[in-house]
Amino acid sequence: MFEKMIDPTAGPDVAAGDAPRLAERTDRLDGLTVGLLANTKQNAAAFLDAVAESLAEEHAIADVVRRTKLSITDPVPPDILTELVDTCDVVVVGVGDCGSCSASAVVDGITLEAAGLPAAVICSDAFQVSADAMAGLRGSPGYRYVRTPHPVASLDADAVRERARTALPEIVGLLTGARPGAVAR
Amino acid sequence: MTAVTGSAASDDAEDVDETARLHYAREAIEHAYAQGWTDGLPIVPVTEAVVEEFLAVTPRDRHEVVAAVPHLGRRCTVEQAAVNAAMAGCRPEYLPVVLAAWDALMNQRVVTGGGWQSTSGPAPLIIVNGPIRGELGINSAGGVLGPGFRANATIARAVGLVVRNVLGIRPQELEQATQGIPGRFTLCVGENEEESPWEPLATELGLPAGADAVSAMLLRTCEYVDNRHTTDPEGVLWDLTDTVARTGAVIGRNSSAGLLLGVEHAQLLAEAGMSKADVQRWISGHARRGAADLRRAGKEIEQGQDEGTGELRMVPDPDQIPIVVTGARNAAMSMVMRPFGFGGWSRTAHPVRRPAVSESDGGNRS
Repeated sequence: MFEKMIDPTAGPDVAAGDAPRLAERTDRLDGLTVGLLANTKQNAAAFLDAVAESLAEEHAIADVVRRTKLSITDPVPPDILTELVDTCDVVVVGVGDCGSCSASAVVDGITLEAAGLPAAVICSDAFQVSADAMAGLRGSPGYRYVRTPHPVASLDADAVRERARTALPEIVGLLTGARPGAVAR
Repeated sequence: MTAVTGSAASDDAEDVDETARLHYAREAIEHAYAQGWTDGLPIVPVTEAVVEEFLAVTPRDRHEVVAAVPHLGRRCTVEQAAVNAAMAGCRPEYLPVVLAAWDALMNQRVVTGGGWQSTSGPAPLIIVNGPIRGELGINSAGGVLGPGFRANATIARAVGLVVRNVLGIRPQELEQATQGIPGRFTLCVGENEEESPWEPLATELGLPAGADAVSAMLLRTCEYVDNRHTTDPEGVLWDLTDTVARTGAVIGRNSSAGLLLGVEHAQLLAEAGMSKADVQRWISGHARRGAADLRRAGKEIEQGQDEGTGELRMVPDPDQIPIVVTGARNAAMSMVMRPFGFGGWSRTAHPVRRPAVSESDGGNRS
């Protein structure tokens, strides 16, 4: 019944993108250069800086490369992607704490993986549904990322550092062999 | 369904037949609900023949891509837009306006970014200029933002159904609106060119006078300014500016504002010798808040302050204050509207493209 009724969702582009491809990982972060891809959301850069600080203390990373994505809603621009690929071994992306920026942060993580860089994406847990849907849409159902409690924007400096310390084991796990991050279904 | 006269068996049979067809129509609508194809309101069932009726009134190729969200890998063709316009309740001849609306929307940076997924839940505002308003019955006068006008209601809804069905952006999934705004996917207005004292928006933006055209932007809201109290143009400007400058609308470096100016306010300002550009400059210059006001509201803004006074300029670029004259000339009230996005409004108008008129149909468009 109703097979003559046109399906308004049908079309040439409904199929999802390429199958997921995760980058090769090493067991340890020692001696690696860590890229930080921040968006311009309040506390995003501070959160990533605190992550880098802890990584330097606990994992003897070699260097940190900081890049900021000026449009929170757009995917990482090609020039920044190239720079990260050229200079970094792994990348931490964040913070996805709005509807459009959490979705684009997950896209950035998938893009970095496809370019050969292990990535850990940090999203606030209020946007889990959106981030999971993005991951599914881009052909990576089950893509893992780090969830931090909502909100992030209104935290003070100490609270941001505390959040970063709490998230650190998951971030390290995602960037190395062990992957205990949140699973998108 | 009781037949009142009831004597002829054939009348009864016709009644039964019609009732069955109506019930079938209702089932078709329920089917669309069950498939998740609707925005919550009933849709019109669409068949291949209906789609062809729509495609016949546009010169554009059915496979042309008119909308896209690159980061989702999703695109919408003319044909898909036609299907959803028909579902939305459009008449076929509205399709060229729907497509021009997409041309306009795709020129907005926020639309090609993640704007449809934003927590602000913004609404596309579609502004129509030109004689096509009269031809299609696009309201530009009384109740222009409200219900009751098929073209206004269904053209805006056609955009919303594409976002949902073709781009795949649905509430509480890829769309994360915290509350969204009232009137989302219902905002299509004609400019009241007949009573505006100024050139139409499309002319201001560079199209020939009399062009059928669409401009569009995403809005975070509209807020009324009721000022029937004065004939002093500065009084009206200050009243509008007070709303423009409220702290709640400030995010990032500044705020955003435009005007859906009522006819009476527009005429009052024009009679005082002001052009649209003068009004834009006045509001841009006067819409300011001091650091103390912002601090009191918990908003420590670090950029965008005026160097001399330390005040925050709400809309520093006068060109980014769109002005549209719309509504009835029956009371002096206007709306301050809030364009969404940091990238700014494109300031473009997009021609409504229709098939060339042939000799044989005597110059009438079908």
